[in-house]
Amino acid sequence: MYNYQNKNLDYYNYSNDNFNQPIYTEDANANALYDPYQGFIRGNMFPNLYNAYKLNQPLDITPMNEKEQLLIFLDALSFATIDMNLYLDLYQNDKDMIALFNQYRMEANKLRTEYESKYGPILVDSDASNVYPWAWDNRPWPWENQ
Amino acid sequence: MWIYKKKLEYPINIKNKDLRMAKYLVTQYGGPAGELSAAWQYLNQRYTMPDEKGKALLTDIGTEELAHVEMISTMIYQLTNGATVEEMEAAGLGSNYAQFGMDLFPSDSFGNPFTMAYIKTAGDPIANIESDMAAEQRARATYEHLMDMTNDPDILGPLSFLRQREIIHYQRFKELRNYYLDIQKKNS
Repeated sequence: MYNYQNKNLDYYNYSNDNFNQPIYTEDANANALYDPYQGFIRGNMFPNLYNAYKLNQPLDITPMNEKEQLLIFLDALSFATIDMNLYLDLYQNDKDMIALFNQYRMEANKLRTEYESKYGPILVDSDASNVYPWAWDNRPWPWENQ
Repeated sequence: MWIYKKKLEYPINIKNKDLRMAKYLVTQYGGPAGELSAAWQYLNQRYTMPDEKGKALLTDIGTEELAHVEMISTMIYQLTNGATVEEMEAAGLGSNYAQFGMDLFPSDSFGNPFTMAYIKTAGDPIANIESDMAAEQRARATYEHLMDMTNDPDILGPLSFLRQREIIHYQRFKELRNYYLDIQKKNS
């Protein structure tokens, strides 16, 4: 049976107070964003929008091996670009944010190429598909436990 | 068009089978505030947005929701993987097993099948975006309810991530709505 009283985590010390406050980010400062990993484990790159529930601190993602570690770095950088993309859709003139977006985009592409060369293609049209036998259908698929 | 990235937006590795949580979680797959409904609501509304900001934002958030459909599906798959028929029946999932075996099926947590009747569209950008803001709020609330019902960090991690994404999406939709309202005011 499930146990609601886990001793390791302080589940009920959380704040939900800022959720409906009118926070505007027209003046978001690219330098003030979380770093990609800290943003990734929160699901949010923008500290002024962060709102926790139940967990008093975001859960770290612990890699089991080198492959998982590389994927977490890649996930974090990809996530940073996804979140900044949404912001930039509305604030097309934010030069600093565009520069940071492109920095993370290039780092993510570099890491993806490294990952794919070791563990197979993430995108089917990557160079890692130029192997015999065909590597795209190799396990694990993303929904399969590592 | 869309291109498949062979990875999740956020990693999911659930070690403990939990049919009880799977039964509740399925609503975020095929329920009224679920990810499938959100994805299609935004991707359906984007064609008639009045400017490039709206078209870009609805395309990008709609696309991210598809990645969330994959995350929720993954959670359901891992929570039920390896369950016996007896365990499925004991967890109230006997009807699922009878109809679908161990396959996933988009429904709410009562078992009502997903329907496109969930998605909102009204031929008006303000009405559309406010329905999108509401969809994000309902999904946020549902994720909080789901988080209330487990203490498994393998489940809480992804649920907390997904909940936070609803907060960001809500914020961006609200900014777009306010931007359109300001234009309307200037033009009136």
